[in-house]
Amino acid sequence: MRRIWAIAVNTVKQALRMKIAVAFIVLLFVLLPVMGLVTSGDGTPKGRVQTFVSYSMSLTSFLLCLLTIIVAIYSVTTDIERCQIYTVVTKPVYRFQVLIGKFLGVVLLGFVLLVVFSSMIYSITVYIPRFIDATGEQLNELNNEFYTARASLKPAPVDVSREVKQSFNELVQNRKISDEVLEDDLARRRILEELTKSKELASRSVGPGRQLIWEFNNVNVKSKDPEGKIFVRYKYEVSVAPPNRRIAGRWTVGDYRQEKYGLPVETPLWRESRWDVIRAFHELEVPVEVVADDGYLAVGFVNLPQYNDTTVIFPEKDGIEVLYKSDSFTANYIRATVLVLLRLIFLASLGIFAATFLSFPTAVLFCLVIFATGTISGFIFESFGSLGGGTQLIYTFTVKPLVRMLPQFDKVNPARFLVPARLLSWTLLAKVAVIMVSIKAVILFLLGILVFNHKEIAKVIV
Amino acid sequence: MEEYIIETFSLTKIFSDWWGRHKVCAVEDLNLKIRKNEVFGLLGPNGSGKTTTIKLLLGLLYPTKGRAIVLGGDSSDPKINARIGFMPEESYLYRYLSARETLDFYGRLFSLPAQVRKMRIEALLDMVGLRAASNRAVGTFSKGMARRIGLAQALINDPDLLILDEPTTGLDPIGTRQIKDLILTLAKRGKTILLCSHLLADVEDVCDRIAILYGGRIQTEGRVKELLQQSHKTQITADTISSNTLDKIKRLIEAEQKDCLIETPLEKLETFFVKTVIDAQQHDLATSGALSTTRIGDFLTAAGLEGKTRASILEKLVSEKISEAPVSDRRDTEAVRAADETEQEIDKQLLRKLTKEVEPVETKPVSEAAPDEKETEQQEQIQKSILDELTGGSNNEGEKQQGESTDA
Repeated sequence: MRRIWAIAVNTVKQALRMKIAVAFIVLLFVLLPVMGLVTSGDGTPKGRVQTFVSYSMSLTSFLLCLLTIIVAIYSVTTDIERCQIYTVVTKPVYRFQVLIGKFLGVVLLGFVLLVVFSSMIYSITVYIPRFIDATGEQLNELNNEFYTARASLKPAPVDVSREVKQSFNELVQNRKISDEVLEDDLARRRILEELTKSKELASRSVGPGRQLIWEFNNVNVKSKDPEGKIFVRYKYEVSVAPPNRRIAGRWTVGDYRQEKYGLPVETPLWRESRWDVIRAFHELEVPVEVVADDGYLAVGFVNLPQYNDTTVIFPEKDGIEVLYKSDSFTANYIRATVLVLLRLIFLASLGIFAATFLSFPTAVLFCLVIFATGTISGFIFESFGSLGGGTQLIYTFTVKPLVRMLPQFDKVNPARFLVPARLLSWTLLAKVAVIMVSIKAVILFLLGILVFNHKEIAKVIV
Repeated sequence: MEEYIIETFSLTKIFSDWWGRHKVCAVEDLNLKIRKNEVFGLLGPNGSGKTTTIKLLLGLLYPTKGRAIVLGGDSSDPKINARIGFMPEESYLYRYLSARETLDFYGRLFSLPAQVRKMRIEALLDMVGLRAASNRAVGTFSKGMARRIGLAQALINDPDLLILDEPTTGLDPIGTRQIKDLILTLAKRGKTILLCSHLLADVEDVCDRIAILYGGRIQTEGRVKELLQQSHKTQITADTISSNTLDKIKRLIEAEQKDCLIETPLEKLETFFVKTVIDAQQHDLATSGALSTTRIGDFLTAAGLEGKTRASILEKLVSEKISEAPVSDRRDTEAVRAADETEQEIDKQLLRKLTKEVEPVETKPVSEAAPDEKETEQQEQIQKSILDELTGGSNNEGEKQQGESTDA
């Protein structure tokens, strides 16, 4: 262990004294406070801190990722290129100890820098409202919607298979579908697909004068503090955009079962009618007391016919969700930082793996490609997912498993949790740690050790 | 105990290109046998496979065919590695580390306990004459200074087997002389040394046996004395003789009907150079380079056992010179020597002050005439015990290892 530690310390010294890390450190030290000063977002204090956290976290994470890749590769390849490794591996150290030492050094450097810069971002974030003299109301909004960690619940997907079957049968009975089509398997399947799509859309659309109700279970609000709030976050899409791009709606939140079954009223129903801009997120702030004791909550939306003459559609992915406070901002922030650290650990072992068999520029390029692919993995899945026929088959067996093997950085981007003050749970963190570090990073590292153990270190490759 | 410290069995290394086509046959069918406590020289012109052989021995390259056994085992085994000191052909050092940090790093790789590490670093820095530059980054060193650190690095574990690749290239004559002294001292202590070089004079001075490589094959191998002895010639060296006597000798030899050549022998340039530099040093001229105290690290000379009585060859050289020098000159040098001694004393005190805070006993130099004898004794005791422990321990391990391997 002492040997590994000696190599780790040497690696950190190398990174610092060879001035590789300096550019990154200086850049961050300058940029972070400047960003704190100049970001304005949408002009509100909330927008301002959200923009700052989003940009600064992403920038820090990105630069530290780059730094980790470069330092990890540099520390191994220069040792080999400048032959310093000759004097190290001829000492009583196993080669795997050399790699572990390097890895530890790189992670240590990344960890220290991450702690420094994330505390800087944290301090600036917390200080911004004071700096801009936010009013009491704005502070309240910030505390409820930003300086917190909210768990989120989304409505369960609606099962439309029965309706689809029913309308298909109707179509057949009414002779709307010819026998020819019925016998063609492919055509039949397409009709069913189209029906499913339209039924699903229907389950998310509300015509003028109609109402849509979502039901949520397990809304585990921690305390029924009268000051406490839950939030309904929603976004409108429309079939025809109204001239003022706004939709008027009446929202009802509470225990619907009381009305439905005529039960005695125990929790109040909360109502609000409001105008909202389409295609943007909005939040209803509802007192926490509307949640039933068993964690049941229903949210109802009425498309007010006197103001709107278009159908409102709630997008499938993030049309509506219920948010409630379940942890502090600080704890959430720390977990978000750990998320970045996990990323660095993965990249460190990726870099060291690449450096055992590639030269410095090649290894850097290799790692950057993987890093970039991991960062846009969601986009890749989405764009290739819509392929058809043979191409789809090739994609399913080539690109898809490859990209699946890479970590999906965009899925676990810290800004995605911090900006909407969404809870980043320990469970999710543990899941990422297991998949990204304990499995993927360890496999890469073991591969690296395998290559390095069999490498003829003194062999010159031109 | 191992009979052979290094043994190779038809060791062959062929370098191939990416497609697997054989390009260069660097070492071919090499059968080396180096006994314990031997100074073995591997000679050969550039590209004859010397360095490749060493790399094969150390596991930096893998043989295409054949096998190398070092210290009774595989050299990539850390247990074996711990007993090897290796100085590569160029000083491949971490340029951003200072001299002291470099030695500390390598000491840590051997898991040397902090006290031993500190003591050895100080001794080695003294030995290679880089105490004054010990906090400078190694990258700023001249080639010779870097070589010295390279040497110090190879000695930090007090190795049983020392492998030196071109040990004297880039070194000034004093450094060369010193390395040769060191090799002889280590050999006296029962260490085995393999050195490869094309500087024949160096090899001739220190090696017991040599092998000459050409094209990756051993061309000649044998004891230096046997290989170089001119059995049909006799050399007589004497003090200056009157021309009368010379004539007599000439006649005597001619009576035996043999040719003879009489001339005043030239001093070796090396000796002359060393003398000149020592003079300059004694006049206290400043240098930014290495300033060697010429003392071989105490832990390398079996500490207290010989430490006190041992004077280095350089000191001998200097004293010889004094006895030869004219009277007026001698006074000068004596004065300077005295000054030099007080300076050393000051250095010592400074060192003691510096080191006392950390490790009061361990780091003081031993064999210099320290003012406090008790302390010196104590110091020697400690060094002895550490050394015994280290060398004894590693030897035992080696034996065990050997036993196991023969069993297997």
